[in-house]
Amino acid sequence: MSFVLELIREALRNLRRHTLRSFLTALGIIFGVASVLSMISTGEGARRAIMSQIQQLGIRNIILNARKPPDEGKAQTSGTSFRLTYGLTFHDRDQIAETLPMIVEVLPVHDLDQWIWFGSRRIEAKVRGVTPDYFEHLHLEPWLGRTLTSHDDAERARVCVVRNQLLRQARYAGDPLKLDLKIGTQFFRVVGVLPDAEFQSPNRLALGIDERALEVYVPYETVIDRFGLQTTVRRAGSRESSEVELHQIVCVVDTEEHVLPAARGVQAILERFHEKRDYEITVPLELLESRRKTQRVFDIVLPIVAGVSLLVGGIGILNIMLASITERTREIGIRRALGATGMDITWQFLVETVTLSGIGGLLGVALGVLGVHVLRAFTQWDAVVTPGAIALSFGVSCLTGIVFGLYPARQAAAMEPIRALRHE
Amino acid sequence: MSATDELARAPIAELRDIGKTYGTAQNPLPVLTGVDLDISAGEYLAIVGPSGSGKSTLLNILGCLDVPSRGSYRIEGDDVARLDDVRLSRVRNTRIGFVFQSFHLVSHLTVLENVELPMFYAHRPRAERRRRCHELLERVGLSARLAHLPAELSGGERQRAAIARALANDPALILADEPTGNLDTATSGEIMRMFGELHAAGATLVVITHDPGIAAQAPRRVSMRDGRIESDSGRPAGAA
Repeated sequence: MSFVLELIREALRNLRRHTLRSFLTALGIIFGVASVLSMISTGEGARRAIMSQIQQLGIRNIILNARKPPDEGKAQTSGTSFRLTYGLTFHDRDQIAETLPMIVEVLPVHDLDQWIWFGSRRIEAKVRGVTPDYFEHLHLEPWLGRTLTSHDDAERARVCVVRNQLLRQARYAGDPLKLDLKIGTQFFRVVGVLPDAEFQSPNRLALGIDERALEVYVPYETVIDRFGLQTTVRRAGSRESSEVELHQIVCVVDTEEHVLPAARGVQAILERFHEKRDYEITVPLELLESRRKTQRVFDIVLPIVAGVSLLVGGIGILNIMLASITERTREIGIRRALGATGMDITWQFLVETVTLSGIGGLLGVALGVLGVHVLRAFTQWDAVVTPGAIALSFGVSCLTGIVFGLYPARQAAAMEPIRALRHE
Repeated sequence: MSATDELARAPIAELRDIGKTYGTAQNPLPVLTGVDLDISAGEYLAIVGPSGSGKSTLLNILGCLDVPSRGSYRIEGDDVARLDDVRLSRVRNTRIGFVFQSFHLVSHLTVLENVELPMFYAHRPRAERRRRCHELLERVGLSARLAHLPAELSGGERQRAAIARALANDPALILADEPTGNLDTATSGEIMRMFGELHAAGATLVVITHDPGIAAQAPRRVSMRDGRIESDSGRPAGAA
């Protein structure tokens, strides 16, 4: 052990003798490692963000959303008044609950197309009538106050749970739990505040879950009872009236293995009772699987890119070490004459190469971490530097040193002592 | 005196019909053509001869830096031809000390580190190595030059450092190839005095030189010509 330590000390001194040359040699490794580390980090960040969002949607959930059929949208322009009926129905909910035993809960959601007012300020947000279980199954934990209860439903209470962002948008600085919001024509008391949506990455948009950031939750029964099913929207010059029984149904499956069969069952039921495709099915588990597949592509591409960049760095090292050995032939001869074995010489040069590539690796890691921080400061990417990624990129740089240092080191050891000694 | 006689009888190096040929099979270049030589412990031997007579090659073979094309060489009873790289290196490391004409100090190591090298390869502990280095450098009068690089020393000082290095592992055989070849007369005398002292202390020395004055200081003189031993003052022919 102390033998290797002394070799490292000796190697460091040798590298210091030609600081510029050593630095330039290590440059390939430095950039290789830095790019590998930042690639792993951005990949890991994106992966975590997506995973967390998918997990927030609930891995055992099947989420059905009502969707306005596109062709009906056009028909609406022909008349000034048109009532459109679409979306998920109470019947769907009952059918799913009765036919599919693995679905343990079916949560209905009805949205209110009403404006929200705080004083004279209008707030852009979606009002969703939800049942108490909704919070639990979509992992919505209040940051302040409470979520909705069955008591609220029974009372048809005018209470709501909001996102923290909404308070900021309303520029409300007081006690959030003393805030009254006017939804449509009625006042609702805020009883709970949810934290901001955790991830602010472009991936949210890709998953179509961005709008959840600004949702206001009110008791389901309150919405049905006080506002009814029909909504009327006034747009420039025309009135659009629509009737949607349910905007969303969240089905909770008993185990993860049953999610995909249950999703097929749900699809079969919906296809049977809906003439048009006025709904869409989101299965977070499926999203997760497809994301994992995308990740796998990344997992293949990354090592190739990393390999190529480190190959280039490694060849640089190989080249310099071969030159260095020629330059130091006489030193090798002297060491051999004094009793160094071929293995001693091999070790000496191998340790020198690995020290060089290891230092390059450390600098590369530093550069990579710096790069990730810069990237995070100037973009919206959630790049995450994990200790594993650092260990991996550093390890690979050392491995490069071993791989490309072995040949020159063996060359040095293979020299005949007397010839090496006489080398001019 | 009887102790010296005792030592003189124990052979350190035995060479039998050593031949060495360089060049290719089509164009062979014989350098040694049948050398028989015995070197006993405590002997001080000068090998003289014109350039090209094969004396350097003989010394390299004695030092296990080169292998003979034919014949046998035993060092302290071990047949060199049967030793692998590790064992040969070990022989060079522990039983042989080299002093070269051009000093052959590692230019980027200090005097102390150069002297330390043979002990490093013998895997001796660092503290012990340092202690021994100081002792050796004291002995050759270089205590004040420990941390200097070879380039910062005079020729004589470099050669003294090289002698200290050759002595590091207490070798059985000290081989010097034209040790004064690059030195002025005064410094040469100083180095040769040092060899004389070593001999007096019981070391076995082989010195190559083409300077008759230097050779005269050695009790035994071997003269070479055309790859063969022409005359050997210390040992009448056939006395092996």
